[in-house]
Amino acid sequence: MMNFIFFGGLVLYFLSMFLQFAGMVFKKESWTRIAWFLFLAGFALETAYLIIRGIMAHRLPLSNQFEFASAFSWSIGALLIFCYYRLHLDWIQSIGIAATFLIISYAALQPREITELMPALRSSWFGFHIGSAAISYAAFMLAGGVGVRYILVEKKNSSDSSLEQMDYFIYRLIALGILMLTITILSGAIWAEEAWSAFWTWDPKEVWALITWIIYAVYLHLRINRKRRGAFLAWYAILSVPVVLFTFIGVNTLLPGLHSYGALEALTRLM
Amino acid sequence: MKKAFQFIQSMTFGLILLGAITACSVIGSLIVQNGEPMTYVRYYPDYYQIIFALQFDHIFTSWYFIALSALLCVNLILCSVIRFSRISRQKPAAYETAFAQVPEGNADPEQLEKIRQKLESMRCRKEERNGITVYSRNDFGWYGSFLTHLGLLLTIVLFGAAMYLPMVIDEPCYPGNSLLLDDGTRIKVESFRIEDETGRLDYTSEINVILPDGRESGVREVSVNHPVSMGRYKVYQQTYGTVGKMKAERNGKSDEFYLESKDFLSADGKNGIWFDELYPGFITDDQGRTTLIQSTSGHYENPVYVFTLMEDGSTDMMMAFPGDTLEVKDMKFTFLDPVEYPGLRIKRTPAMVNMLLLGAVLIMTLGLYLAMFVPPVIVAVGKNGYAVRGPKPENTQYEINMILKQDQNSSGVSI
Repeated sequence: MMNFIFFGGLVLYFLSMFLQFAGMVFKKESWTRIAWFLFLAGFALETAYLIIRGIMAHRLPLSNQFEFASAFSWSIGALLIFCYYRLHLDWIQSIGIAATFLIISYAALQPREITELMPALRSSWFGFHIGSAAISYAAFMLAGGVGVRYILVEKKNSSDSSLEQMDYFIYRLIALGILMLTITILSGAIWAEEAWSAFWTWDPKEVWALITWIIYAVYLHLRINRKRRGAFLAWYAILSVPVVLFTFIGVNTLLPGLHSYGALEALTRLM
Repeated sequence: MKKAFQFIQSMTFGLILLGAITACSVIGSLIVQNGEPMTYVRYYPDYYQIIFALQFDHIFTSWYFIALSALLCVNLILCSVIRFSRISRQKPAAYETAFAQVPEGNADPEQLEKIRQKLESMRCRKEERNGITVYSRNDFGWYGSFLTHLGLLLTIVLFGAAMYLPMVIDEPCYPGNSLLLDDGTRIKVESFRIEDETGRLDYTSEINVILPDGRESGVREVSVNHPVSMGRYKVYQQTYGTVGKMKAERNGKSDEFYLESKDFLSADGKNGIWFDELYPGFITDDQGRTTLIQSTSGHYENPVYVFTLMEDGSTDMMMAFPGDTLEVKDMKFTFLDPVEYPGLRIKRTPAMVNMLLLGAVLIMTLGLYLAMFVPPVIVAVGKNGYAVRGPKPENTQYEINMILKQDQNSSGVSI
């Protein structure tokens, strides 16, 4: 049943993405409308899946690569829905749906069994620290997606009226992302002091979170200072996404450390 | 000199420093840090000399990384001072500009009315002068960027203090025993367990911290994520281990003690047992041969004591299980169940550092929130037009564009 809900959501996201692009290519507005409703249905299934999983696990579903990736894609979806209904950004649909599908596809490749929370993760900081990271990554991912759209629209028509709006929303999304990442880093430091006695140990995950933070802080300075605008910053937002993905996936799988899934067993033995 | 000072306080210099810190961080995350010299020789045979020369093996404590961090702090101090003085000039100037002049003809009366309604619904303050109405709110937003930079500066400095000032001691301690610290503080371990009541892994010690002045924490549980704080001390559940235990009897007297590696237990210095090691378990194959095994889970399922019996000049390698007894001359040894014990981390921190650090973290987060999400709103509305003023007009302009877009959409025009 759980698999049915999860993969049902994934299939709906895929159909939504497919129909969205087909609607754009063949200029069929009704197709993109249907795509949006499919996306909403997929989002509802993913929400239900995460809630049921949380109830079954007796904790927030944020503890491993699968759960974090699911929360990450859910956050992209939630931001997308907020941008669409609250800010009336209809051009954000295609990139948002694609980003949501991309991340949930990655989640689908991960082991899905519900595991017991290791002692180091049993803390009141757990939801706060990891939840804010999921929202932060989602905002950065969506900002990169808007960057892609910016570049494509600019290539077609450099005086398109939506360019300024896109530039502004890349900035707003990155502002949200950096605020949430700051909360992630600082709450993680406070949690690390409670768990491991040190605020900061230069663990690879900490280092890459700091690198991500610096990269987006530089973006904000470049933009606020009005030194750079438009295509340059759109490219900047796009090229920063691989850094976010490396911080999320690469560090956990390639580099040894306290956040590394390969090292969890060793850590359990240590604790 | 003046140019150099201007460069040090500039954003460009700050960005260069951040770039350099990022580059160092990437290197530090890819190369093993603080390893043994042979580790680098083995894993980086072609580059280890460069690694040592450039201090890549401990890059986060290298002189140039510390210098970069110090320069960033200087840049942040100057930035913050300049920012604060700039706010005190710019804030009144922005209001003066708002009252001085409003562009003509960028909105019709109907649109201006909608803008007024929107600003009033946003609960903006309203002030009228020379036929111009100035709506304003979010004065705190002016200080967002300043607070962010100040908070970041304090966070860096206090993180440094919190990392390098505390005295940290790692000590194992057997249940029932105490650790005595150099200032007379005593930490007594009452008990230790690896599993909770439901059988779930949860490493918990019960400890009592007794300060030199006699104040006590009382018996409290310490486990991962739940350190015990008392005075300037914080005690963490860090590691655990298992130790053998034995009862020795002689002439009607008995004593129990823990077996640490290579202990020689004898009354006369010649006859007795030489304890070698405690193994977590063993396996026996089809032919009855026994192999001792190491633990991968930390549990001692079938503990085996390995020791050498020394009696009348002969030596025999032997094994024993908990409950076994052995008599050597006038001594009787009983092997008891092994005991699990905690490894505690004791940290003594200057009392104010953590409090100040928490304050700095809150200032930085609040600053970021104000800077990004509470931008100052200053909108001047005249008879035939309006103007958005202040340091970050984009957000307000977007809100106004939304109203105008709805208006224009209704008449079939998009912005």
